[in-house]
Amino acid sequence: MGGFISFLERRVMPVAGRVAEQKHLQAIRDGIILVMPLLIIGSLFLIIGFLPIPGYDEFMANTFGDQWRTKLLYPVNATFDIMALIVGFGVAYRLAEKYKVDPLSAGAIAVAAFLLATPNWIMFTPEGATAATQIDGVIPRTLMGSQGLFVSMLIAVLSTEIYRKIIQKNIVFRMPDGVPPAVSRSFVALIPAFVILLATWLLRILIENTSFESIHNIVSTVLAAPLNALGGTLIGGIVAVLVVHILWAVGIHGAAIVDGVLGAVWLTLMDQNRVVFQQNPAAELPNIITKQFFDMWIYAGGSGATLALVILMLLRARSQQMKSTGRLSIGPGLFNINEPVIFGMPIVMNPLLIIPFILCPFVLVIISYFAMSWGLVAKPSGVSVPWTTPPIISGYLATGGKISGSILQIVNIFISLLIYYPFFRLWDKQKWLEEQGNLTAQNVGKDSTAQM
Amino acid sequence: MNILLCCSAGMSTSLLVQRMEEAARERGMQGRIWAVSAEEVMNNLDQAEVVLLGPQVRYKLPQLKKEGEAKGIPVDVISPLDYGTLNGKNVLEFALRLANK
Repeated sequence: MGGFISFLERRVMPVAGRVAEQKHLQAIRDGIILVMPLLIIGSLFLIIGFLPIPGYDEFMANTFGDQWRTKLLYPVNATFDIMALIVGFGVAYRLAEKYKVDPLSAGAIAVAAFLLATPNWIMFTPEGATAATQIDGVIPRTLMGSQGLFVSMLIAVLSTEIYRKIIQKNIVFRMPDGVPPAVSRSFVALIPAFVILLATWLLRILIENTSFESIHNIVSTVLAAPLNALGGTLIGGIVAVLVVHILWAVGIHGAAIVDGVLGAVWLTLMDQNRVVFQQNPAAELPNIITKQFFDMWIYAGGSGATLALVILMLLRARSQQMKSTGRLSIGPGLFNINEPVIFGMPIVMNPLLIIPFILCPFVLVIISYFAMSWGLVAKPSGVSVPWTTPPIISGYLATGGKISGSILQIVNIFISLLIYYPFFRLWDKQKWLEEQGNLTAQNVGKDSTAQM
Repeated sequence: MNILLCCSAGMSTSLLVQRMEEAARERGMQGRIWAVSAEEVMNNLDQAEVVLLGPQVRYKLPQLKKEGEAKGIPVDVISPLDYGTLNGKNVLEFALRLANK
């Protein structure tokens, strides 16, 4: 076991470090963070729109009119349905920042390029008509949301790469002396913006002549579909938690690294559920593995589902060290922050405690997955609940107000208690013996001085 | 003395900030101690006199050390034990030692 840890330290840590420091993955992760506050606010309206209280719908319709839900959901459309636009801007901004070139220009160019790559028409079937007509001059909202996410991130990364290469090669318009710096700076973006938009335009025209018809269709066939299939399966979920916890075992923030790679996939899967839920809250939702699946049902108390461990420390610890770690950890633990446990207990580099720390989330993924796929527990509805929301409340909210979501959280905490218990006892006993040993040693010391 | 702490989301370090502020008050120290997330750390670097990383983001050390030292700002990782036990006093002393170096 000691060999395993030193292997992780030597081999896995440098790789994890390189992944975490990879500029484009970092920019994608940070760009996604930009849209999270909006999604949480949108979720608030989503929850209010579908409160599972008997008679609620009739009450709302009588009070606010038949259109109450449509109107209530306006903010949902303005948050969830424009996430590709916002994320694209955010990714370009953060990437440009890393290259130390003007991030605002890079963000603006990326948004323009994304819109240029997107068809500006939709097909619409008027009532009573048999064939769909093409409506021109619109921005298709479906492609501005999660469906356009991969295209927008891809364009943001590529356009910012072109942008910074041209700037760094110093191919810019130079204004004569005496022109205010603010004016000349706005001309700097001119050449790179022209090159990027020209390239996107040519690409779009080229693709329109193929059977793919749009860049969106290519990306969803080539990239998005296989990624979603991989990230959305039980096996994908298991691999993700294993990687997260093996990284944590050597003391690296595993979730931050895995989110960089799979964050966009989980966000897309989550939004597929939201779209179905918004149409009909009683409908069968397509995905189980989403961002919420991990945050709400696997990580109670933080990575490793350590809330149960903290409860054990509070209730059953004999050693002073475990008692005080328990008291220190319960406050943050309720909000799913567990660095005090991970480094204080410690779990990091600890061959004994790493076993339940990896085993526990592994078991919880399997149990939660089957509980949801067999229909015992409601699936995450696409409502975006902050990961710091305490368990039991968060499970209720993330399922769009289903009590089964909370019950599964309670069951999962109980299962974690069982898994952690024997390991906790061994560790606590060892700490207790150490403390007793110290005490006796001190007493012996005192006695001998007294005799002298 | 301005001390900047950094972890993944700036959450667990902010717990440590409280403890460090207590320790700083006891010493009668002036200055600002604050915590930010990993993506914000570059924007805060200039205001710091010393930068401390949570052990869970220690893979950021090489990059930040380079950026920090170009500006004469020492950067290092907090000891996992002090981090886990939220030992504000030890971490504060660690920061002072780094800054004097």
